[in-house]
Amino acid sequence: MVFLQQLINGVMLGSTYALVAIGYSLIFGVLRLLHFAHGEVFMVGAFIGLGAVVYLHVGPLVALLCAAVGCALLGVVIEFVAFRPIRRRNGSLLAPIVSSLGVGLLLQEVATNLFGAEQTRFPPQFEGEMIRLGGLFVTSTQLFILGTSFVLMLAVHLFVSYTKYGMAMRASAESTDVARLLGINVDTVIVLTFAFASALGGVAGVLVGFAFSAISPFMGVSMSIKGVAIMLIGGLGSIYGAMVGGLILGVVEVMTVGYLASSYRDAFSFALLIIMLLVRPQGLFSGASAAKR
Amino acid sequence: MVVVNRNGFIVFHNNEVLAIDNVFMAAVAFLASRDTGIGVGMRKTMIAIGLSAVAMATPAYADVQIGVLMPTSGFAAGFGLEEQGSIDLFMKSYSDLGPAGKLKLVIYDTRGEPAQAISLTKKLIDSDKVTAIIGPYLSGESEAAFPVANRAATPIVTPSSAKPGIAAANRPWAFRFSSTTDKTDKALIEHWTKKQSKPIKNVVLFYDGKDAVSSSDGKTVMPAALKAANVNVLDAISFQTGDVDFSAQVTRAKALNPDGIVVTALFTEAGHLVSELRKQGMTQPIAAGVELSLDHKFIEIAGKASEGVLTAAEFNRDSSKPTVVQFVKDYEAATHHLPGNSSALMYDTLSLMRHCIMSTGVVGNSEADKVKIRDCWANMNGVEAPIAGAVTINKDGDGVRQPNFLVVRDGKFVVDP
Repeated sequence: MVFLQQLINGVMLGSTYALVAIGYSLIFGVLRLLHFAHGEVFMVGAFIGLGAVVYLHVGPLVALLCAAVGCALLGVVIEFVAFRPIRRRNGSLLAPIVSSLGVGLLLQEVATNLFGAEQTRFPPQFEGEMIRLGGLFVTSTQLFILGTSFVLMLAVHLFVSYTKYGMAMRASAESTDVARLLGINVDTVIVLTFAFASALGGVAGVLVGFAFSAISPFMGVSMSIKGVAIMLIGGLGSIYGAMVGGLILGVVEVMTVGYLASSYRDAFSFALLIIMLLVRPQGLFSGASAAKR
Repeated sequence: MVVVNRNGFIVFHNNEVLAIDNVFMAAVAFLASRDTGIGVGMRKTMIAIGLSAVAMATPAYADVQIGVLMPTSGFAAGFGLEEQGSIDLFMKSYSDLGPAGKLKLVIYDTRGEPAQAISLTKKLIDSDKVTAIIGPYLSGESEAAFPVANRAATPIVTPSSAKPGIAAANRPWAFRFSSTTDKTDKALIEHWTKKQSKPIKNVVLFYDGKDAVSSSDGKTVMPAALKAANVNVLDAISFQTGDVDFSAQVTRAKALNPDGIVVTALFTEAGHLVSELRKQGMTQPIAAGVELSLDHKFIEIAGKASEGVLTAAEFNRDSSKPTVVQFVKDYEAATHHLPGNSSALMYDTLSLMRHCIMSTGVVGNSEADKVKIRDCWANMNGVEAPIAGAVTINKDGDGVRQPNFLVVRDGKFVVDP
């Protein structure tokens, strides 16, 4: 029974990781870019949701929508300010990574000044109902997060596989030059990818805010690192990989804490990552990009 | 209004200090100067900030400069912000030192990081030439910063660090106003076990393995206190500072079905843990070590789950002592929230530092001045502080004080008699 409960704990934790990692993967898949500020977009999403709830007195669904729209806009601004100028000037490969780190720091400091450095939370009613099944326990928010990550995973898959823009994304991921030759406006595709992935990040921020009641300007930092680890485990740029990788990381973390000690948690997570890189360097899902899924 | 002080810290009009590295600010200025679509006005401001961050200002003489280290950003920011409220309040009334001029504070944000505490201690001593340092806040930071100040023969006084042995290891220059966990834990556990209707034989102990004071408390100090009270520890379960998910720890504890729960953690982690304990249906009584620090944030984070949690703290906000009543009133008027343990400790430490400067005739930052402050702290015996009352520092450099027991009732910490 205890083991089963720990497994549930792990899957629930993992689904929040997956939610963030999906956005990460999408951007990497199309742009081949480690967007380190994605964790901060996630953080901003949480604050937008919180603002909507506290000042506009909206319900959870509208809060999610506000965060999605707000973060999509933020994503587009980041693309225009931090990435497009570098691409235009054919900057080095490292430049966009450093630039994204800079954007992340900037967002953190701005958030610290606007909202204070302390942790804050959604009103208690957003924590969700507790559901007890026999001796097992789960909250409705956790189930909602798990469901949302599955739905988003499917939606992203359908979007990139069957829509015109999705196909354009795949073509751009394959080769931007060829895509341009085929008449695809690559810049538009990139902007769209940022908007879409950032909207996902915003939704994730609000949901994680609901689940853990811990919103702070620094909440994106560890998510960024975990997001990269999950991408490597699941396969760079693979949406399914992000989902499965997130769940695996969550379960490994919880089991380490549940049966060993919290101080081993990161050691085990990263040992898993190293083993993965040794045994299957391309990750669980070998598709090289989101576009190839 | 935004002012940039000489070390690249942006000081806002309300004295909120934001640490931004000079290099980063310069980068902002550079970026802003490029065609990045930022409005002209904003761009000018950013350039101004970036440039002045790199510029040096002339240091002031003839006043007594005291360095202050505290976390105003990062995971421990809550403590630093509480301290900031006290600093503002204190400096409004007591910055005048008579013939020695004015009391000047040089305040830096440690972000709660020991490495920052070390470099900022060096900076305070070497570039700012302060006479003494107040801070840092956390035990981990103090452990790192004390040896630096001790080697440089500069008095350093933490208002708050509670891990035993830290000041003792850095004689003769390091002190703390606060008392240590080895003194408070024993009293807390005695009080807690005595209060329960159902006797407590077995407990599960939760501790933060990353935070210096919580970790030392959870691994050695608290187990000793529990053993002395004939309480058996079924399992000691750790988590890490910054954790928000405590489901695995609580599921593990629940299977052991203890009579009570003991927590040694800072308020944020303690808040999330207590919330998860109640969520998973564990209804056992909870005692939390002094590092929780009487703090409205704990109750805000844990919500209803915080009801009945017992802790120890040096500050009794509900005291009828006139100076305490006045302090609480003034603090609340200025900050719009009630002062916490951290606020009280900082206010008293500032008062005693001013007392030491004025009573020993310190006028600047000479070696003799530093020795005077050191000896004043080392020989402190029954000196009256506005909030804590008579303060005595023992031979280890630690404060000696009896803790108050506080319990959460109706969303407020009240004294548990």
